[in-house]
Amino acid sequence: MWFPDWPLRLLESPPPPDEPYQAVGSDNRVAAVNPAAATAGVALGMSRREAEGVCPTVTTIVRDLGAEAVAFEEVARAVEDLVPRIELAEPGLLFVPVTGAVRYYGGEEPLVERLCKEVERVAGPGAHLGLAAGPFAARMAADHATDAPYIVDDDAAFVESLDLSTVAPDDLVDTFRWLGISTLGELAHLPRPAVLSRFGPEGLTAHRLASGEDRAAMTRPIPDDLAVEERFSPPLESLEQAAFVARALSVRLIEELARYGAMPHRVEVEGESSTGVVRNRVWRSADPFGDTELAERVRWQLGSWVEGEGIVGGLVRLRLAPADLSDEGRQLALHEDAVALAEAQRSLLRAQSLAGPDAVLASQPQGGRDPADQVLWRRWGEEASPARDTTAPWPGRLPGPAPALVPTQPPALDVEWEAGTPTRVRLGSRWEPILSWAGPWRRMGKWWEGEGHCDRYQLVTSVGAFLVEVAADGVRLTGVYD
Amino acid sequence: MGSMPAPDGLLALEPGRVVGLTGSVGAGMTRLGLSLMAEASQRGPVAFVDVRGWLCPLSAWESNIEPDRLAVVRCPDSGRWPKVVAALLEGIPAVYAEVPTGVSDALLRRLGALARNRRSSLLLRPLRGSLPSGLTHLRLEGRGIEWEGTGDGHGRLRSRRLLVEASGKATGGIPRLIEIEGGEYGADAMRVVPGLAAAPVGVTTAAG
Repeated sequence: MWFPDWPLRLLESPPPPDEPYQAVGSDNRVAAVNPAAATAGVALGMSRREAEGVCPTVTTIVRDLGAEAVAFEEVARAVEDLVPRIELAEPGLLFVPVTGAVRYYGGEEPLVERLCKEVERVAGPGAHLGLAAGPFAARMAADHATDAPYIVDDDAAFVESLDLSTVAPDDLVDTFRWLGISTLGELAHLPRPAVLSRFGPEGLTAHRLASGEDRAAMTRPIPDDLAVEERFSPPLESLEQAAFVARALSVRLIEELARYGAMPHRVEVEGESSTGVVRNRVWRSADPFGDTELAERVRWQLGSWVEGEGIVGGLVRLRLAPADLSDEGRQLALHEDAVALAEAQRSLLRAQSLAGPDAVLASQPQGGRDPADQVLWRRWGEEASPARDTTAPWPGRLPGPAPALVPTQPPALDVEWEAGTPTRVRLGSRWEPILSWAGPWRRMGKWWEGEGHCDRYQLVTSVGAFLVEVAADGVRLTGVYD
Repeated sequence: MGSMPAPDGLLALEPGRVVGLTGSVGAGMTRLGLSLMAEASQRGPVAFVDVRGWLCPLSAWESNIEPDRLAVVRCPDSGRWPKVVAALLEGIPAVYAEVPTGVSDALLRRLGALARNRRSSLLLRPLRGSLPSGLTHLRLEGRGIEWEGTGDGHGRLRSRRLLVEASGKATGGIPRLIEIEGGEYGADAMRVVPGLAAAPVGVTTAAG
């Protein structure tokens, strides 16, 4: 069941039928139009600028999804009174599983009639009702429906007649049209391996939908009891608190599922009020939910419960249960712990926001003569860049373990020499005798740029070993074997 | 280095514990801290908070930390330092943090409490001064370092031997001197040389 103009219904007074109105989402694309705007040429999915170009007199309102969800709750409740366990896709769009209800009400016609009457009583006219065997076909049927419900008898035949743009992104549709394919039926008749090899995963998804396969089959068993639950004492009364909890709980659920490489298409949100009333509602999405999307849905739901008196006296328990899992999640290597990795990434991102992106670094080996040259730094999270060859011979490369500390600005160091042999080094205010030393390893400077050469020595004292560089202008500390 | 065989698991990071590393620059504590983190790095990224920007990751790789598992966070600002370390402790199982001057004891204690709460291991290496008492579960203080492999202008640095005083709750409140050997390129297990392990501290001076 679809309300194409739902976002426009939030207006305090209904828009006059002869004045064009449109609603735009946060992506600045038209999400709903009234008939007047539609006749003027404004279409769904247009950018706002384009729409205003087509129809300069249009009044634009910006969508408020939270408020829409609150308003839609009333419709959802009315439908739920007739058919239990409905699924919300977004404010304005809901799926009603009718298999049982058809039997109960004695056929599709009487059920549809009841639904229409009930919905019209609550929300007024304008609902588009499509009835089909699968959710995709049903959604498309709702597209085709006008004021009268559209009932699909044969899913496959109906889907075959649909236009390509319903399943594929724009550029893919253009390619298909160029190849002479314009309906889903024509697409479905192509061999699937060919579509996959030419168009990749996007083509495969389109082909699956065109062939009447709504969802990918589940290939792996995923435990049933993956629900996450939280109890609150004292009960939550404000929406801010609820939103905060919704976020945390959604993240937990998605992380829990990521462990199995699964992501939910459907999530059941269940809330219990302090008076003991339990409410639940299913949200669904064509793409699997990520944690942000899920948190948003849960927040809308909680908002509509808290504000719409569905939960009286505050929320004492919230439970999220996934359903319709697809294994499109991230694959992990053995021994990797998805939750821990996600947490580590998050805290590094947080550190990045505190200390600046240039301060959180990853490193990779590369070829070079000095310890500092052998490290290639990059910002954490960036792709590794090609490095200098580590296997090439690097004449003059220092042997042995690397110094743990390499000063960025090598400080000057006082070293006493006797007949070419270092004898003492001054560390702070003390002179330390040199117990043993090794070197020199000579590094030739770029003489063509006027750089002189320098000699590197390892000096060992009783308080530690140091790497120093002796050049014409003195001795510098270039490494501490700490 | 994989795991570190040590008497009664003394030299192993425990989740939620704070390890203090003190000693002069050159006493070998940086590499010791890195090799302590090697085991945790098998499970996820570890972080090194670098106050001076001096860390050379080569030594970390030689201590068996994979390059893509080491995050180096440069934070010279002592005002921002506690927040950065706190953010890291939230999600990273092992954090090595150099402590800049000007961080109060109270802040360090709060970070210790956070590490306990998040079950992360925190290694603190003060650049100057010492750590507040009671904060660390294990305190390792470098007492001496000996290098092998160099002579009078020949050879090269090969292996080292650290003399470290271990104290704190991890040693049952009795300070002990332990000797740790690091092999060439840090590739061998640092082992705690037996015999010295139970030596009481007090009369011993640094070996070097």
